[in-house]
Amino acid sequence: MKRLSLGGVSVRFGKLAALDGVDLEVEAGEVLVLAGPNGAGKTTLIQVILGLVRPNQGQLFVDGHERHVDNAFKRVLGYLPEAVAFAENLTGRQVMRFFASARGVKKAHADEVLERVGLAHASRRAVRGYSRGMRQRLGLGLAILSDPELLILDEPTGGLDLEGLDVLWDVLAEWRQKGRIVVMATHDLTLAERRVDRICLLRAGSVRAVDTPARLREMAGLPVRVSFTLCEGSAQAEALVERVRRWGEGHEVSRSDGVLGVEVEPNGLLPLLELHSGYPEAVSAVRVEEPGLDMVYEHLLEEAS
Amino acid sequence: MGRVARALVVHELSERTRDRWVLVISVLFALLSSAVSLYGRSAGATAAKLTGPSLVTLVSLLVPLVALVLGHDAVVGERERNTLGLLLSLPVNKLEVVLSKFLGRLLALAAAIAIGLGAAVAMASADNRAVLMQLVLPTLLLGAAFLSLGVLISAVVRRQLAAASAVVAVWFLLVFFYDLGLLGLLVLTQGGIAPGTVADLVVANPAGLFRIEMMQRFAGPDVLQNLGMTASPPGPVAVAAIWAAWILVPLALSGLLLSRQKVSR
Repeated sequence: MKRLSLGGVSVRFGKLAALDGVDLEVEAGEVLVLAGPNGAGKTTLIQVILGLVRPNQGQLFVDGHERHVDNAFKRVLGYLPEAVAFAENLTGRQVMRFFASARGVKKAHADEVLERVGLAHASRRAVRGYSRGMRQRLGLGLAILSDPELLILDEPTGGLDLEGLDVLWDVLAEWRQKGRIVVMATHDLTLAERRVDRICLLRAGSVRAVDTPARLREMAGLPVRVSFTLCEGSAQAEALVERVRRWGEGHEVSRSDGVLGVEVEPNGLLPLLELHSGYPEAVSAVRVEEPGLDMVYEHLLEEAS
Repeated sequence: MGRVARALVVHELSERTRDRWVLVISVLFALLSSAVSLYGRSAGATAAKLTGPSLVTLVSLLVPLVALVLGHDAVVGERERNTLGLLLSLPVNKLEVVLSKFLGRLLALAAAIAIGLGAAVAMASADNRAVLMQLVLPTLLLGAAFLSLGVLISAVVRRQLAAASAVVAVWFLLVFFYDLGLLGLLVLTQGGIAPGTVADLVVANPAGLFRIEMMQRFAGPDVLQNLGMTASPPGPVAVAAIWAAWILVPLALSGLLLSRQKVSR
């Protein structure tokens, strides 16, 4: 599968437009994130790709050809649903083996996948004794069990500990490297930022923006926070504070616990840093913080509405 | 049958065999039926003749309830656990899911029936065993019809608790009140309903069809006339058609309903 696209997809549930003319394209080797507030249409969009919801309008295309979601299509996809659940009385191994037998995967490989998601030690325990993170790991294991060309993950980070997140990031990296497609809905944008290629911002069933995290950050143009750790007691430090206050009129400037904080537009960053270079003994450290991707996302969605 | 459907049948069967409720009901069925059989064996020739009809009464009460309860969470259970989406992401269509769930549960029910009737046959006197064996297939058909109804209920309702209430209501309606209702209708109309219509209405209910069929086998073909029902009993083709309708129509409706509903809660 080289390209998956949605063309003009609309889904209505009664009077509610869950998706409204969504056009979207994902290329092989790409990790696309669907982001948006609750009710934005992320899960509905995923369900359209899975064939669980039939669109009122629009089509799904694979490699440019219209594609009906049939069993052949389902054979090449792996899916982790939001708040994944299983029959509570089964062990992790039994769940994995049922899906392995349904997907025609060897039992030995199912055991390897359990090992990969870090559940080998708990594989003979009933799922009812699993934590949320363990269930999520099991769900991720099921999603990658048949080495699918298209991996669909709905809120995969929920409940995962650092080790579980590492497994997830490994999977994303591997799928990208293999030239597969990953579509993932998440609210943890800051967490996912460095691991994804593009982000699709959805609101009220419509696509508001689709771009790389860096481009979205540029589009938002949110201020950057610069923190100077002052060498307290030095005359240069006081002079710098005074200079920055004059330079930074209209910007948010604060001083607390020996740290001078300034919020500047991205294009004001270089002049500010140049200004500080005139006071070499005033500062012991400088830190530049970009706004979190979650703030970028909120800003862009507010702007769009 | 595709690979996913086969895996699902096996999965359903193994889940049901782990179900304590199924185990308890199988043991209870075995105990009751062997008690009936033992009584028939020890209490003389007249009682032995009554073993079959007594087992018919036991089966016609117990098997529909077991089958309905077995079917009641087939779809709604998956929906409520939020596992339906994951299941349907497998290469399988919704009707196949319904049929596989039905088949897996039917095998579990068949095992419970085999244990129950097997115990009765084992305890029966040698000359009564062949008579009791005649119960096996109609009991399985009765179970399949009510299981199919249970699956349909599980596809209609949105909560498992509602499904449980509904199956108990359907059991009361079809197993107890249906015949009483017909009787009431006859009294109210002072016998104004044609005998053929009454007979048709009796056999239109799977529990009624089972009883009539078994009564004919145990008491001879004239049993309906002896009971005052002057219409001729349905022939084998009609009987097969009624069983097929009770088993297949609810399953087809379940598949249709599932394909039109939202998968998530």
